[in-house]
Amino acid sequence: MNATSSTVDGITVITAEGSIDSKTASAFESTAIGAVQGQSQVIIDLTKVDFLSSAGLRVLLVAYRQVKARNGKVVLVGTSEEIQDVMSDTGFLGYFVTVDTLAEGLATLKAA
Amino acid sequence: MERTTFPGTLDSLEGIRLVVKEQAQQAGLAKKPTYALLLAVDEIATNIITHGYDENGGSGPVDVLISHADGKLSVTLEDDAVAFDPLKHTLPDEQFFAQPLENRPIGGMGIHLTLNGVDEFKYEYVNHRNRNTFIMKTEPASAPA
Repeated sequence: MNATSSTVDGITVITAEGSIDSKTASAFESTAIGAVQGQSQVIIDLTKVDFLSSAGLRVLLVAYRQVKARNGKVVLVGTSEEIQDVMSDTGFLGYFVTVDTLAEGLATLKAA
Repeated sequence: MERTTFPGTLDSLEGIRLVVKEQAQQAGLAKKPTYALLLAVDEIATNIITHGYDENGGSGPVDVLISHADGKLSVTLEDDAVAFDPLKHTLPDEQFFAQPLENRPIGGMGIHLTLNGVDEFKYEYVNHRNRNTFIMKTEPASAPA
């Protein structure tokens, strides 16, 4: 698992790669939580994430809460069908905007 | 029957997923049920390692036993940690999932995902070992006679 953050057109983008399990979720969490500080528009790019356990869901939950506290929005990019199934099953899906590409994600937030 | 022994540490989660995935592919399990099985095994293995071993100051192995017969792929995790029956834990109910994400407690999702993802889940405590078994059907159920 590898997680990085960047700013694209003024919007915070967190990009994760690989498998997010109880071992690797802490690295994802520190990147994500550091990046969302003070932000109300955040993109989390999961295109290259092939596995996300409940430990990863918890990171999404923590990031969501911080951004939501500023009435902001979290957009998930490239979430696999399997991960979307898990998010649906746990009632997470409706709280995030999900799009296929980073360009769509940026457009969604700019239009907001 | 394939048996692989892993040290009971979080570093083993990836290797455990790999052996289960390999056997699931050999058994012809489709992509989505394979993912659900990997997730279920990962959640329970995490509980064994973090609650069973780490929080009790213990350490030990996690054995992964896999077999495929009669249209059923069976994965069993065996460990020497204190007895822990995941089915005796309070599962999140509808009220839990109806809460908005900003208010709901963090946690409690792993066992829900486990039970929801597999065709059958069994827990036994035999010879001082926990045995968590996950079963997936690998052939379409035959039409009722």
